[in-house]
Amino acid sequence: MMARKKFWVAVVVIILCIFIFLGRESPQTADKEEEETVTEESIVVGFSQLGAESDWRSANSESMRATFTEENGYKLIFEDGQQKQANQIMAIRTFIQQEVDYIVLAPVTETGWDTVLQEAKDAGIPVIIVDRMVNVSDESLFVCWVGSDFELEGRRAAEWLNQYTQIHDIPPEEINIVNIQGTIGASAQIGRTKGLADASRSNGWNLLEAVPGDFTRAKGREVMESLLKKYNNINVVYCENDNEALGAIDAIETAGKRVGSHITHGEIMVISFDGVNQEAMQHVKDGKIRCIAECNPLHGPRVRTIIEMLEEGGVPDKFYYVEEGMYTHDDTVKSVTVDGKVYPVTVVRHVGGENFH
Amino acid sequence: MSMQKANNKSGFFANLVRKQIFIPIAALLLLAIFNLIADPSFYKITLGYNSAGDPVLSGYLMTILDYGSELAILAIGMTFVTAASGGQDISVGATMAIAGSVVLRVLCGTNSRPETLQAPIIVAFLVACVVSMLFGAFNGALVAYFRIQPMVATLILFTAGRSIAAWINNNELPIVSEPSFGYYGGFIPGIPIPTPFFIALACVVVIGIVLKVTTLRLYIQSVGINESSSRLNGLNPEMIKLLSFVILGVCVAVAGFIKVSRLSSINYSVIAKDIEMDAILAVALGGNSLGGGKFNMTASILGAYVIQFLTTTLYKFNVQSDALPAYKAVVVIALVVLSAPVVRDSLSRWWKQLRKSGAKEVA
Amino acid sequence: MANKTSAGSSLGAKFKNMTDTNLLLTITIVVFFVMYIGAIVFQGKGFLKPQTFMNILNANAALIITACGMSLVMITGGIDISVGGVAALVSMCCAVYLDFKGGNVFGAILIAVGIGIAFGLVQGFLVAYLEIQPFIVSLAGMFFARGMTTIVNTNPFNVENEAFVALKDTRIRIPGLGSVNKLGKYVPAYIEIGVVVALLVVLILFCLLRWTKMGRAFYAVGGNNQSALMLGINVKRTKFASHMLCSFLAGIGGFVYFLHVGSGSASHASGMEMNAIASSIIGGTMLTGGVGNIIGSFFGVLSLSTIQNIVSSAGLDEAWWTGITVAAMLCLFLVIQSVIMARKKRALNK
Repeated sequence: MMARKKFWVAVVVIILCIFIFLGRESPQTADKEEEETVTEESIVVGFSQLGAESDWRSANSESMRATFTEENGYKLIFEDGQQKQANQIMAIRTFIQQEVDYIVLAPVTETGWDTVLQEAKDAGIPVIIVDRMVNVSDESLFVCWVGSDFELEGRRAAEWLNQYTQIHDIPPEEINIVNIQGTIGASAQIGRTKGLADASRSNGWNLLEAVPGDFTRAKGREVMESLLKKYNNINVVYCENDNEALGAIDAIETAGKRVGSHITHGEIMVISFDGVNQEAMQHVKDGKIRCIAECNPLHGPRVRTIIEMLEEGGVPDKFYYVEEGMYTHDDTVKSVTVDGKVYPVTVVRHVGGENFH
Repeated sequence: MSMQKANNKSGFFANLVRKQIFIPIAALLLLAIFNLIADPSFYKITLGYNSAGDPVLSGYLMTILDYGSELAILAIGMTFVTAASGGQDISVGATMAIAGSVVLRVLCGTNSRPETLQAPIIVAFLVACVVSMLFGAFNGALVAYFRIQPMVATLILFTAGRSIAAWINNNELPIVSEPSFGYYGGFIPGIPIPTPFFIALACVVVIGIVLKVTTLRLYIQSVGINESSSRLNGLNPEMIKLLSFVILGVCVAVAGFIKVSRLSSINYSVIAKDIEMDAILAVALGGNSLGGGKFNMTASILGAYVIQFLTTTLYKFNVQSDALPAYKAVVVIALVVLSAPVVRDSLSRWWKQLRKSGAKEVA
Repeated sequence: MANKTSAGSSLGAKFKNMTDTNLLLTITIVVFFVMYIGAIVFQGKGFLKPQTFMNILNANAALIITACGMSLVMITGGIDISVGGVAALVSMCCAVYLDFKGGNVFGAILIAVGIGIAFGLVQGFLVAYLEIQPFIVSLAGMFFARGMTTIVNTNPFNVENEAFVALKDTRIRIPGLGSVNKLGKYVPAYIEIGVVVALLVVLILFCLLRWTKMGRAFYAVGGNNQSALMLGINVKRTKFASHMLCSFLAGIGGFVYFLHVGSGSASHASGMEMNAIASSIIGGTMLTGGVGNIIGSFFGVLSLSTIQNIVSSAGLDEAWWTGITVAAMLCLFLVIQSVIMARKKRALNK
């Protein structure tokens, strides 16, 4: 038995040696293959998506998949990080090992990316950040960023509420808001929370509480249920994405309250973000959600434009903000002005039918 | 004379304490009194109207009745599995996700946002039952025929279950817009009591009848107490273990169906998270030995509602949902320590001594 | 050598088991190499680079440590599913201590070890001296640790303590290994400090199980409680020691994990307990106790992460594939074990 054991130990040692030997030889061989393939094969893009928590995210992933297809001359390697930074870092390292041509990263949090982005830079792979921002000491670690100005979104939504209540002569001290936040630390959460907090302070609204809802419907519902039990004077719910808004509406209706716009008469107004979810848009038509600040998820074509620019040797803008609008149920507020810029308001409602009068 | 009286008294107490159902009842009373002192408004029930204009009862007690019911359904299956195999199934949460995913898949077909239902709800439910029975049988087979510890065997589905659930629907989040689908996890129009309670009631009645008219209880207990002697008596222990897992599968399907009906949608990574802990806790709280053997179904079911009572109480005191497990863990440890044979032995020795000295004093 | 054989034969039961250990260990190692070579053949590019392998080590150093601890407990016939929770709690406590309380790295290590020992004491006592099922005890331990993590701090955050970040980014370059990147620059392969810790743990535990009285007691207790008792082994103390060691290693593993990710979060190390159990099983540790090997657990971790790596580089892009492959692998090895056990039983009956 000892002999057999020794035999296996020997086998292991030999295999290890072969492995290390191969490892040392690899640079040259791999490089040769690389040179041959890169010219004729498609561009390989590694995309580290942070998860699949919301419809916005799904639409975002779908947009990337639909853009970087074989027909368009790309090969997309898609990695779902399942909401964990460790997974995403692992994915980026895998991309580096596989020598992809471009890395696209939708980061789950803002901090903690320096090391791995430095590795990508050392490996000579350009990194494009989408959606949420990264907070790194050296901005040359990524080529550019594509996404929305989340704070501006928050301010737009708050400004809409401000104008709406002014038109309807509702005094600011009667407005009791709860904020169902997104995943703490996400850019969308930080920006949208700040937009509302600043507006509440300057307009004199009562911001009762801000509770994280993780951008999911289930959590949004759970959070809203407990908020309703805690406060009986809530009349505005500010949800930082559509899925949370749907959960909050479930909770409000289950508790026997009504969603709507008569906030001085016991109805609860729901304000939301994204405008991707079909059910949420339906709710805007029905008036259950009064206002959605759009956040456009279709980043695929935009990233493709940047990659094509880079392929031709161009230098893209460092920050690429997406133009966005608003969706509302009625046309009380015609347009929203923030920092002197006017943003259009799109009225979404049933055409022709019974609700049109 | 007086000594006899004292004896009677302690005898009555000892009897009561020895009764298995004493544990959940005592826990329930403890919680109820605690809430009564802390905040009597806990017991307030209000009659309101939901958005469809139907009457609904709301309040903390209704929440307990509502969410405790799905737990009670799981507790039924978990009691059988515990009794027969001497272990617990830790994959119930993941299997609920699978069952829920199947329901939505059948209802929605290939389109994740259909305008109308693609199949009758009962068909979706039956398909989910079959699927979840199959997964139960998979667990059961590993336990019964491959002799793998139940907790480890079910670890496989615990790891893969949610992934499978996501895979069934291509990781999409289907939404059922049909309002009648929401009745099962919410309210039937005109009836102000949450539907899950009636579903749980139906399950309890069915199980009660089965236990009354068949020899299932005897078989499961004898397999749990001594497998080889039950084999010598002509039973097929493997088959009975497998059966207990399949029954749990049905319970899981029912609970999963209620869960997706509540949301009319699903979130694979969050749905029924940590529910296995609650289900096991319900069985333990019911005073059943987690090592298998004898079981008391009523105590388990009552245990389930007590767990929900505890959860709701904790929620009321603003404990975050993610922090709940810490408190429950303390309860579990207290329970298992009290029910551990070593502790029981020393406690009963201590009790006897106390009685002896007490009797002497009286005399 | 002769010494060892005689020691082995003095414990007949152990000798019999050693064959199982070897067989299962061999299967594991072969599976790992077949998988890795397969990956090189079919997906050459990435897997040929030494850094790919080093990355597997870097990312799984914490798992290696906890899997070793898990193997110890499983060899004595127990199980501990609280390790992931303990690791998360350690990460969060250390993160809070470093960033909010202005602590230093040394103190953080003490915290990590302290948490591990505290869990070990309680769980070990409950399992060994009160004879409560280890699964239930550690299930409660897991939920307690997870809940406590949230209570300590709800929101995830990255640690910015300078000394810690410097330690986290310390890389040990391996001479002679490396690869040339796209730009023609030579990048040497590196490992993180955690890997060194993990390898040390593997080495120490291997020696402990192989050449100490305590190690043999672990096997004896797992093999048969009664006969171990007759051999004069203190069964309770051995069980206590195994749980103690496992939780202690979970504490260290938690710190290594923390050193790798550099942040505190309630969702950290989720599923780590399952991966540790899976690695141990794949590495040839039997759930019934008495059979197992630390080297096997090490290779178990490597196999597990290699298959995950293959799955992701094969472009099976959906998140669920990892879960399903891991479960399938676990299932396969469980069945193999069960078949081996059944055959052995039949052989004994003859």
